[in-house]
Amino acid sequence: MADTIYTISAFIALAAVITAGVRLIAGPTVADRVIALDVLTIITVSLIVYIARMSGRIIYVDVAMVYALISFVGVVAFARFLERGL
Amino acid sequence: MFPILLCYSLCLMMIIAAFGAVYVKNLTSAVIAAGAISLAASLLYLLLAAPDVAMTEAAIGSGLTSVVFLYTLHLIKKIDEGDDD
Repeated sequence: MADTIYTISAFIALAAVITAGVRLIAGPTVADRVIALDVLTIITVSLIVYIARMSGRIIYVDVAMVYALISFVGVVAFARFLERGL
Repeated sequence: MFPILLCYSLCLMMIIAAFGAVYVKNLTSAVIAAGAISLAASLLYLLLAAPDVAMTEAAIGSGLTSVVFLYTLHLIKKIDEGDDD
């Protein structure tokens, strides 16, 4: 039962990656691409936690935590650059 | 079965983002494409059972490199505006 739920959630995450990737490629403006990269980062954090659960190694959750913190700084830097130039 | 599929899709995403980073005209979009490359590379390192390399790639490639490139673009824009005066 739990295995079925994990498989379904993995394919939902993969579909979300594909959807955000289409917006990342075809975004007309730079702001669309920044938002698409932010969405991809959030999906990546969930995928890292999924991999940690699947492989049974709890140290992978630390990678997800570091990635969430660092990507926030990156998106804030992009937003400041787009608004008034860092 | 799912990690193999995830590896293939990550490799495809890295190749597409690399071509985008080289061939796109807007420089900010090129920086975003480089960030997407480091995002996929970090997840791929994690799938290859190297969590410390993945953590370093996340900190350096996605965070620090994007900020440094944006600071460089900001300086270039300021120098160009200074030449117009």
